[in-house]
Amino acid sequence: MTEAGHTHGDHSQWAETSHCRVAAVRHFGAFAVLELIAPRVARRAAPGQFVMVTVPGGGSFLRRPISLFAAHADRISLLVEARGGGTERLTRLDVGDAVEVAGPLGSAFPTEDVSNALLVGGGIGCAPLQYLADELSAAGAHVTACFGFRDFRSARAAGAFTIDRLWVATEDGSVGRAGTVLHLLAALDVSPGTTVYACGPTPMVAAVQRWTFAEGLHGYVSLEAHMACGTGSCHGCVVDTARGKLRVCAEGPVFRLDEVTP
Amino acid sequence: MTERANGAPLDPSPDLSVSLGPIVLDHPLVDASGTFDLLEYARRYDGDYFADFPYAAYVPKTVTVDARTGNPAPRVTETPSGMINAIGLENPGVRAWIARLGEWAHLRQPVIVSVGGNEPEQYAAVVAALDEYLDAAAPGAAPSIQGYELNISCPNVSSGLQIGADRAATAEVVGACREATSRFLLAKLTPNVRDVTEIGAAALDAGADGLSLINTLKALVLDRDTLKPFLGNRTGGLCGPAVKPVALRMVAEVAQAFPDTPIVGMGGVATGLDALEFIACGATAVGVGAANFTAFEAPQRILAELREELAARGFASAADARGVALSS
Repeated sequence: MTEAGHTHGDHSQWAETSHCRVAAVRHFGAFAVLELIAPRVARRAAPGQFVMVTVPGGGSFLRRPISLFAAHADRISLLVEARGGGTERLTRLDVGDAVEVAGPLGSAFPTEDVSNALLVGGGIGCAPLQYLADELSAAGAHVTACFGFRDFRSARAAGAFTIDRLWVATEDGSVGRAGTVLHLLAALDVSPGTTVYACGPTPMVAAVQRWTFAEGLHGYVSLEAHMACGTGSCHGCVVDTARGKLRVCAEGPVFRLDEVTP
Repeated sequence: MTERANGAPLDPSPDLSVSLGPIVLDHPLVDASGTFDLLEYARRYDGDYFADFPYAAYVPKTVTVDARTGNPAPRVTETPSGMINAIGLENPGVRAWIARLGEWAHLRQPVIVSVGGNEPEQYAAVVAALDEYLDAAAPGAAPSIQGYELNISCPNVSSGLQIGADRAATAEVVGACREATSRFLLAKLTPNVRDVTEIGAAALDAGADGLSLINTLKALVLDRDTLKPFLGNRTGGLCGPAVKPVALRMVAEVAQAFPDTPIVGMGGVATGLDALEFIACGATAVGVGAANFTAFEAPQRILAELREELAARGFASAADARGVALSS
């Protein structure tokens, strides 16, 4: 037996399966932060990893891959954007509701020996960077974050974050600086040796990758992909890398910035 | 529920074993090729997964003679009551595949290897390479590969659909493989044909020992913002519960046309009752595919449900339920 008995129903030999309860929900426009009581996930989790969430109530055949927004003690938090029917139902979960998750899954952001960290996020891709900021700050690193959003509606997500040095840009200028994260990066005074962590839409990742190399920096990226299983079987989420085609769910989602070609 | 309405005791444990041609299965459930990676499951399991392996036989992801990188992304997305995929038979090629057989040589269950290709010679080359390896392998050095499933029906490669939609091409592939091996041969049929029994007959006449069906339904999903095809391959294969009624119809047609032929029925099985429906339509064994993507525990759950469904209906065995939908 392994970690049986901590949560109702978690008696299987699949350590990655957790039957959770919603402990708290906070809404930010079309976004929701779901806090789940998930000790088996929280105990093993690291920033950059994700969970596959079964959408309660039927109607969604596949689970939804959602990155970890935070993990403390026996809790994990997920920042969910209502994009389609499945994620929309997830944002409508209420305190006490049951939800099944599989995880933590995939690779994590390396955080060892980092003294200066620059976190660059776009849209819902900002989600894993809160957890990363928490870990880096706890380890004594100097953390700066630059987040880009399309418009006022998507910038509502920024309200969920608690990062001390957080700069926001919106393409329509409705929140923060008008422009993209590249405009924020151009205005930064970046220390040599800073580690860059990126997550967001492909064009943003490509631009951040070019900027990082031009600045002589190194870093990591968490890639998004459409997934079916999320657990390595279906090969639905592969991306081209310097190591060949790799699965975002298994070898990723975190890759070195210099090994991907977004 | 411990007894039936008439007071007769309910047998709580119907005999689940079935014979798929010469291959004896502990129960009717197998995985559908490409939906279940044994080693991925094993490394996530707190225990001896090989001892607890849930399927009665293992059908790995399709192997081709040369490595294939597969289709461009995106390759998958959800559809109403199912999903669409266009993976494109990504695999390392038969030589590299054989080199890793030692990692799961201790699987107790029989293995049926899914084989793909563009030409009959390519299918036969995979079968011959595996047969040659198995004949020379030391005892215990390789899993118990007892048969081949010829994937002539993948809709996501340039040739697969044409082979399985054409009687002559089907016969050529099956015939070439029949010459290459004496092991059990299944031909996996595509639903994207006018009459599935015509292709089934061609396969059986060319030497196939049994039929498996259905592969995915060729389908198109659009990006609803751009109104362009969503998948990198443009079209893909539809699977999941949405296709189950189509699959049941085709399994019934094939079972009626070839009553003594081993049949692996599949398409949208998500529950034990779904599996029983395939058996009722004439399937000997039942493949579980996309349901594997919904939970690690899916196969065990479906098997437990199948056992309960058989018992609740008074079937003493899974074999007894075979074809009950077909009698007039």
